[in-house]
Amino acid sequence: MQRNRPPSAQAISVLRALAADPAQWRYGYDLSAEVHLKSGSLYPMLVRLADRGLLETSWEPGQGSRPPRHLYRLSLAGREYVAGLPAARADRAIPRPRNRWSEA
Amino acid sequence: MAKALVLMMCPVGIAVTLLVRYARAIPVGPATRGDAPERLLRWAAGLLSAQREEWGQAMLGELDHIDGQGRRWRFAVGCAGAALLLAPWGRTAAAAWAMAAVAVGAAGVYAAVTVRYRLGIGGWVWAVIELLFLVSFTLAVATLLRRPGVALPGLFGGLLVTLAWLALSGFTFYGVIAPVTAPWSPLLAEVGVPVLVGVVGTLWAGSAVAGRRIARLAAVSAGLSLYLYRTIAVAVLGAGGPPGTPGWTAGQNVSDRLGSNVVFDLVVIPLVTATIGWAAAAATARIRPGLAASVVSVPLTAAVPAGAPSRDPATRLPEAGPAIRARSWRRTAWLLLLSAGVATAVFLAVASGLRG
Repeated sequence: MQRNRPPSAQAISVLRALAADPAQWRYGYDLSAEVHLKSGSLYPMLVRLADRGLLETSWEPGQGSRPPRHLYRLSLAGREYVAGLPAARADRAIPRPRNRWSEA
Repeated sequence: MAKALVLMMCPVGIAVTLLVRYARAIPVGPATRGDAPERLLRWAAGLLSAQREEWGQAMLGELDHIDGQGRRWRFAVGCAGAALLLAPWGRTAAAAWAMAAVAVGAAGVYAAVTVRYRLGIGGWVWAVIELLFLVSFTLAVATLLRRPGVALPGLFGGLLVTLAWLALSGFTFYGVIAPVTAPWSPLLAEVGVPVLVGVVGTLWAGSAVAGRRIARLAAVSAGLSLYLYRTIAVAVLGAGGPPGTPGWTAGQNVSDRLGSNVVFDLVVIPLVTATIGWAAAAATARIRPGLAASVVSVPLTAAVPAGAPSRDPATRLPEAGPAIRARSWRRTAWLLLLSAGVATAVFLAVASGLRG
């Protein structure tokens, strides 16, 4: 049985970052840098959001011998979910940047 | 002295085996960086369940586009931690929780004995060392349990090793604290049972790789279980039971027994069982070549999904490509040899300490 807990504040910050340009596909590393989340927090969150149908995922073909890259954007349900969220205060929408360890 | 030599040979044997294995690996597939962060992440991605395999590929693909060793390390370590804990685990979750409960129980009993006998700073230093071992073992168990086909035979092997050691002590608290004196006991518990676990595990799983993992899981789970049993024995018997060192106080004898448990159950038994079981699994695969298998790793593919981005999960996964072997195996080999040297030094020190 899948649990449908409300998304955490960090997950909401990811959703809001994706909602800034809903049509654009985003890379995981760029997302983590934008919302200042470590990869260890971001990917489980992306997995949960995708499981709930709030995210669409796709693959960008790799160039030459490089591997393909995973892409993310809001699904229709994700856009509706973000539209239904209460307006975020400017200082809460995105966590404050911390030290350089938060780059990953 | 012979036992100390056997112990010293264990890490050296592991290092040589890994060295030969890496040396035989032939780089295939598309060129990648093949650095340590990538190897770490590929290993961790291999722990993911089949449903989450796509996410392992996603992490690896992203890592390939990150420059800078520091950033690559931070990204890889974060993703590896996530991959280690990412659900679903299936039925193995119950086993992982059970082994974690054993570790927590052992730590709790140890702390209670330390308080009860007022073992002081020295006792708490040992408690910290013990805690580090227990955390490492729990992580190792969690990692091995996630490998396909390893959980059931590995835990069964661990039970067998545990029962073998307990049988030597007559299944009594007194017996597990008293030194084992039967001359045939080392042959049975240190060699016979691990060989049995390695051989049967390899035949059961049908692969040498799985057989080696089964031996490791058996070793670690047996170490945890025996450690809990022996720590409870110390808590129950206290300064009683077998005669302690003459002239020592009750606290000193209890402290000595607790320390011996850490060394014997969390170092000696797991190391010997894993090494001999590993060797037995490798030998079984060599006798029956059909069981030999290459190193299992998550393939880092250069294949691309055809066409435009798709919403259909079935078409999003890139096709599996050939496994990438690490090109920088020489560096790994040197690191392994260095680790073996350090481990040998540690065991020399421990052996010297045990002898007096």
